Amino acid sequence: MINATYAIWLRHMRKFTRNREELGGLLIQPILWVALFGVGMGRMLPDQSNYLSFMLPGILALTALGGAAGGGMMFLDERLRGILREYMVAPIPRLSILLGHMCATVSKAFFQIIIVVIVGVLAGAQLGGGVVGWLATLIALICFTLGFAGIALGVAARSKSIMGYHGMIFLFNLPLLFASNALYPLDSAPVWMQWLAKANPATWFIDVARSSTQSTDMSTNLLNLGLLLGFAVAGTWLALRRFNAVTAN
Amino acid sequence: MIDAQGLHKQFGTVQAVIDLELHVPQGSVYALLGPNGAGKSTTINMLTTLLRPDRGTIVIAGHDAVRNPDAVRRVIGVTFQDLVLDRDLSGREALDFYGRLYGLDAATRTQRTKELLTLVELNDAADRLTGTYSGGMRRRLELARCLMMQPRILFLDEPTQGLDPQHRAMIWDYLRMLQQQHGMTMLITTHAMDEAEILAQQVGIIDHGRMVASGTPAELIGQFGSDMVRITANYPADYQPSWLQAEWVRNWAIQNGELRVGVDHGSRRIATILDGLRADGLQVSDMNMTRPSLGDVFLQTTGRALRDEVKS
Repeated sequence: MINATYAIWLRHMRKFTRNREELGGLLIQPILWVALFGVGMGRMLPDQSNYLSFMLPGILALTALGGAAGGGMMFLDERLRGILREYMVAPIPRLSILLGHMCATVSKAFFQIIIVVIVGVLAGAQLGGGVVGWLATLIALICFTLGFAGIALGVAARSKSIMGYHGMIFLFNLPLLFASNALYPLDSAPVWMQWLAKANPATWFIDVARSSTQSTDMSTNLLNLGLLLGFAVAGTWLALRRFNAVTAN
Repeated sequence: MIDAQGLHKQFGTVQAVIDLELHVPQGSVYALLGPNGAGKSTTINMLTTLLRPDRGTIVIAGHDAVRNPDAVRRVIGVTFQDLVLDRDLSGREALDFYGRLYGLDAATRTQRTKELLTLVELNDAADRLTGTYSGGMRRRLELARCLMMQPRILFLDEPTQGLDPQHRAMIWDYLRMLQQQHGMTMLITTHAMDEAEILAQQVGIIDHGRMVASGTPAELIGQFGSDMVRITANYPADYQPSWLQAEWVRNWAIQNGELRVGVDHGSRRIATILDGLRADGLQVSDMNMTRPSLGDVFLQTTGRALRDEVKS
């Protein structure tokens, strides 16, 4: 089980580090977000570095979402090209195939997230919080990415084409961020949107990340972490269910 | 080694495989022939545990494929019709990864990868990405991949599709060597009758999900007698040449404006057949005589010539 998961993860990592286009794209994307959106928006506000600190968790969430979508894409590509069947005829648990892909997805997202943090700090974001805060953010981020990787893999397990997959994924990528506290505080949003945002895993993650790194009110962190953990399990479960439905007919 | 009985598979309202039976003894090669959509892929997917049959039993090397798929997966090697090689890995990495997936240790992986690359003569290209390989090289690498775990049974779906004659012959040589030197049991699907005749001891023809003919190539071809006379003429739609009910006629059919008669001795009977057609007032436009082949068996049982297959 662990061996097969590791083998699949390793295969993706080797392909990833070899693919200059993918590496470059993943590197540039977060830099653009911080540099263009963060700095640009920040200029409209009186205290620039504060907005950047405020929205950096949002960019982290966006990066994780993008990573999850990319992970689903990678899985879909292997499925459509038939590579998946190579795993299927091997005496390995079906769950390990899924976990291998999810781990690879999270690893790639992490690579990006480190870049985002570095670029963000260089651009003037102020991050505090200490070890506990960082650890909480890290766990929240892993759960958040796993949950969405599960959803993306679940969609990819059924999609008939790459176009169809993109259609589905874009539905919940950017709008998900707009319906959260990623880019603006929710206090000024209408009530229905506040409720929508509260049911949004992106908000849970951003709450943890923001309160931990800004050392503000951390009272809801445990609740949010619990919700995120549930989300990760639900995402994995969904992916496994859809995956089994497709492969075991 | 491969025993399937009463196999059924239905997709929605389409009956993909109906009451299929198939037995392949240890060390022999079985060729599954059939037009596209006949149920070959569904059958091979069920035999290789990728698909669960609705009904029926599959026993592979003593293991029940439905109840104990992992045991079956451990003893089989499978290549797919559409190549599954990852273009972003080198040939050596592809084999190494496959061994890793099965939990082989590093030393064994290195050793086997080396042996297999030598076997399929890919040593020089081993460290190039498979995306740069030619079709023949990829087929060879696929063959090496499915041998990586030293399987006892190979399932090869269209092992030479899309290859030029030289590379086909090369793959055939490997397969024959595997059978003769390693006693490998194999089930192949193919469109190519020559491939089945050359490689297989047993042949099954499948059409619309049913096994329509099976036996040794000699048995199947034998039902046509020793010669096959083909005559093109302006046959009416319901033409019934009653004079063909003779003891020297093994078998006859009219398809696509061509009358084919399997006879005991072609050169002796051809004049009789021509006389019969003329007596019925038909204009003969073309005629020839060949040894019957599996292609004739295929045409007879499925009503489709192999030429049609190539197009689809």
